[in-house]
Amino acid sequence: MQQSMKRLAIWTGLIARAALWIAGIGLVLMTGFIAAQVFWRYILNDSIVWTEPASVMIMGWFIFLGAAVGIREGYHLSFDVLLYLVPHRAKMVLFSISDIAVAFFGGGMIWYGWQLAAKTSGNRLPSLGISGLWDFAPLVAGGGLVVLFSLERIARRAAGLPTARFGEDPVEA
Amino acid sequence: MELYVLFGTFVFLLLIGTPVAFCLGVSSFATIAYLGLPPVVVFQRLNSGVSVFALMAIPFFIYAGDLMVRGDIARRLVGLAGALVGHMRGGLGQVNIIASVMFGGVSGSAAADASAVGGLMVPQMKARGYGVDYAVNITVVSSIIALMLPPSHNMIIYSIAAGGRISIADLFTAGIIPGLLLALSLMVAAWFVARKRGYPTEAFPGLRMVGTLFFSAVPGLILVAIIFFGVRSGIFTASESSNIAVVYALAVTFFVYRTLSFHDFIEATFAAVRTTAMVLLVIGCAAAFGWLLAYTKVPATMVMALQNISDNPIVILLLLNLVLLILGTFMDMSPLIVITTPIFLPVAMAFGVDPVHFGVILILNLGIGLCTPPVGAVLFVGCAVGRISIWEAVRTIWPFYGAAFVTLMLVTYIPGLSLWLPSLFH
Repeated sequence: MQQSMKRLAIWTGLIARAALWIAGIGLVLMTGFIAAQVFWRYILNDSIVWTEPASVMIMGWFIFLGAAVGIREGYHLSFDVLLYLVPHRAKMVLFSISDIAVAFFGGGMIWYGWQLAAKTSGNRLPSLGISGLWDFAPLVAGGGLVVLFSLERIARRAAGLPTARFGEDPVEA
Repeated sequence: MELYVLFGTFVFLLLIGTPVAFCLGVSSFATIAYLGLPPVVVFQRLNSGVSVFALMAIPFFIYAGDLMVRGDIARRLVGLAGALVGHMRGGLGQVNIIASVMFGGVSGSAAADASAVGGLMVPQMKARGYGVDYAVNITVVSSIIALMLPPSHNMIIYSIAAGGRISIADLFTAGIIPGLLLALSLMVAAWFVARKRGYPTEAFPGLRMVGTLFFSAVPGLILVAIIFFGVRSGIFTASESSNIAVVYALAVTFFVYRTLSFHDFIEATFAAVRTTAMVLLVIGCAAAFGWLLAYTKVPATMVMALQNISDNPIVILLLLNLVLLILGTFMDMSPLIVITTPIFLPVAMAFGVDPVHFGVILILNLGIGLCTPPVGAVLFVGCAVGRISIWEAVRTIWPFYGAAFVTLMLVTYIPGLSLWLPSLFH
């Protein structure tokens, strides 16, 4: 069990790394787009219409992907104080309940995000000219990773492996 | 009953260690299901809650701060602060505070301030014979100053949590005098403690040296001016000026100082992604939570309940401050801003408090919470930098807590401290 979880961790680690890179590139792109917008508006006295909506969409991608990676790496803000008083086994059970709740919410992001995307897929987004479903694509993709990474945490815990938590050093897979 | 579902689920999940964003999201989901409303609302709110152009200022300011920490801007500001106030009683302690004023003016993040200024000052202070506890105490509490001075991304979070109607330019301006007042009261506290413990002073390096150090730090200081006057004059939106901050920080550290390697750049980018994704997910989930608060009329009920307790604004403000201080010891700043603003701001306004003034009170109050155990992000950073336990740090921190609390009370009960400066621009 532990061996197969460690093999899985290599793959999920790669997925998390890729998501982090996409999010990072997104942040750099956003920076570039808004810088271009400022330059065009104040220096060239001309306006670009697509930079703002495009940056907002990229921001959606980097928030949901970055937040999903945060589950695996354990950097989300959380409140662990009372858990110091709880015996280890009970704490593991509570952590797993917490991960199930997170996975459940990730499932909601996929399911309802998909519904919203399906409903708006016929619309064209003004000034970007692409289908409205792209507005909800980050929600669905982020939801997918949220589910994947929280299930991985539950499985790792069941196999007796450590999972990263807020305020601790990252767990090496 | 639906409020029990909302707050019951939220508190339960919070206590078992669920990330705050998901506590907000799942409890909203449970309440919507309980009320028989379509759950898709939660995810619609979440998605629209993070698709706001004004939010973009948050990742950009955090990104700019991360770049500046890695790119030597902080070190030069500390050098300048050292030349300016090192000769005062409690020398390096005073330097630490002034460095927080300068660095706070470019970064606006308390944790970044504690790690940047603390990382430079604490080892120096140790070497000069200062107690590590004193060094850490000053590092930690003086980072609150960064939250008060523009560009404070927490003020942007407050403005968004309040429905986006409060001018960010006014909030930025309103924090300046309270921020400087906090610096002053911390300097007084540092002076007294230093005198009691007999800490040394540094020699004044001479005006020529001050000039040289000023010149070396000037690119960092110019950034403060660009951000502040850009937003204040309305030439740039907050998001645009935060973007300029990133581009400027990149330009200075890459081309002028040549201190930022490509590796540093990648690391700064990832650090900014991690911090902002987390903060913005909290804001998105809080959009769903806040919608439910309004739907179940929590703010209105709260106003009525408090009006029954007292009709005296002085009492109500004291009460709000105490509740916020208690919450602040347990929870981090940004989730508390987004959760408490929709509930407490209507209360404050019903008692005649200006929303800009309330924002300054809220930020200063929750800033103190960042420095208190059991949960205090900045306290943790400070203790990590000084390699001492939280207990060792907190045992002797009281004079500094005291100074911050006195400042909080002055800011709370003298609205002019916050509102006078913005009024000059209207």
